[in-house]
Amino acid sequence: MDPIRQNLPVLLDGLRLTIQYSIVAIILMVVIGLVAALMRLSAVAPLRWIATAYVEIFRSTPLLVQLFFIVLGLPAILPVNHWFGQLTYPILAAALTLSLNEGAYVTEIIRAGILGVDRGQKEAAQSIAMNGFQTMRYIVLPQAFKRMIPPLVNQAAQTIKDTSLLAPVGIAELVYKGEIVIAETFASFAIWGLIAALYFVLIFSLSKFSSYLERRLQVDKR
Amino acid sequence: MINVKDLHKSFGHNEILKGISTHVAEKEVVVIIGPSGSGKSTFLRCLNGLETATSGEIEIAGMTLTDPKTNIHLLRQHVGMVFQQFNLFKHLTILENVTIGPRKVKKIAPAEANRVARELLAKVGLVGKEASYPDELSGGQQQRVAIARSLAMGPNVMLFDEPTSALDPEMVGEVLQVMKTLAIEGMTMMVVTHEMGFAREVGHRVIFMDDGLIVEEGAPQALFSYPQRNRTKSFLAKIL
Ligand SMILES: Nc1ncnc2c1ncn2[C@@H]1O[C@H](COP(=O)(O)OP(=O)(O)O)[C@@H](O)[C@H]1O
Ligand SMILES: [Mg+2]
Repeated sequence: MDPIRQNLPVLLDGLRLTIQYSIVAIILMVVIGLVAALMRLSAVAPLRWIATAYVEIFRSTPLLVQLFFIVLGLPAILPVNHWFGQLTYPILAAALTLSLNEGAYVTEIIRAGILGVDRGQKEAAQSIAMNGFQTMRYIVLPQAFKRMIPPLVNQAAQTIKDTSLLAPVGIAELVYKGEIVIAETFASFAIWGLIAALYFVLIFSLSKFSSYLERRLQVDKR
Repeated sequence: MINVKDLHKSFGHNEILKGISTHVAEKEVVVIIGPSGSGKSTFLRCLNGLETATSGEIEIAGMTLTDPKTNIHLLRQHVGMVFQQFNLFKHLTILENVTIGPRKVKKIAPAEANRVARELLAKVGLVGKEASYPDELSGGQQQRVAIARSLAMGPNVMLFDEPTSALDPEMVGEVLQVMKTLAIEGMTMMVVTHEMGFAREVGHRVIFMDDGLIVEEGAPQALFSYPQRNRTKSFLAKIL
């Protein structure tokens, strides 16, 4: 019997879930990161404090511990399973925790990108009467975005790898399905090898896509 | 057009402007000279709110800048500024550099904004560069675009902070020529520059600043030929 061929549908289903969690987390981490970065650069001190606390807390504790704490720990003191549903809560909580964790790193990437734009650009925008929002939206962020692409793609790759930490808290994805298959077939070497290969293909194509994107932006706009 | 009363500006404990008072009439062209670090840039930047005055009063283009109730964005529509380093928006074409203010701030329709921008680019001698990006242009061309970008907002006053200091010598003339044309058309202007030819020919008045204060001011010919204060004399001896 060929354990790989026989169990391929199960593993591909795991891959589909991994891709879904990755897409959700990558979109959310950018949204969260943008908001938190703007808060960190805000003139309003309490906004800066909140954003800084968020970044430091999520960067200074392991993602796996954060997942255990929120997915499995929180239901012990709050009826969250009741509020959101026994099956829904772990999925929601895990996806959100992952997004918040990655978002803390994205915050720093976006903040550095914004600070990297020459101060004269902002002053020129102010001198033609743009307000803070217009200056960010039309002048600073478009210039910051280009230099943020490589580190953001890096972080996206990290996020894909980090979805594997959803398995230990009981969320079905590629690693989780792999463990089930191995428990039935004992084909440890072949299955883990295949899982590694699937992650590789996923992340390698992402990095290829990003170099393509960078080349395109280089040609279109400077 | 501009009225400044006892303007002070400090950065931390470091007082940079130590009580500046002056008046600029409509259509007047005032040239500011003075040693590096004397506060010329800080003074101009206070006039459009890029720096916040520590104390004193500034009236400009019919609004009181130092009144906290004044809408700074509305005020800046009437006060243009040209920087030493041009500061063109690097990610936008020349045409977009000139239209983005009118379009996003004044909500003018793209067709109309483009029409005005092309007129202004023609005025500063840059027909045919609309689709270029700033770093494809020479310094002199970039500075002329920067002037057009400011003019597109329809300002009543233009502030120039050493507009030719970052330029190669052969490009200084083309920028000064554009500024001269503006002056002749009746624009109220404050110009920080060490181009004495421009000061003599175009300036109505010269202000000499040193150490955060106006040391001496007067008509260009009088100030350059018969400076009264020793500090003015020694500064002029160095640059003339
Ligand atoms: N944002 C700032 N923070 C602290 N010091 C400043 C700042 N801007 C200017 N200064 C100081 O103010 C002084 C005057 O600067 P500036 O107005 O640029 O002079 P000028 O244009 O006449 O050369 C300088 O000593 C400069 O270091
Ligand atoms: Mg200066």
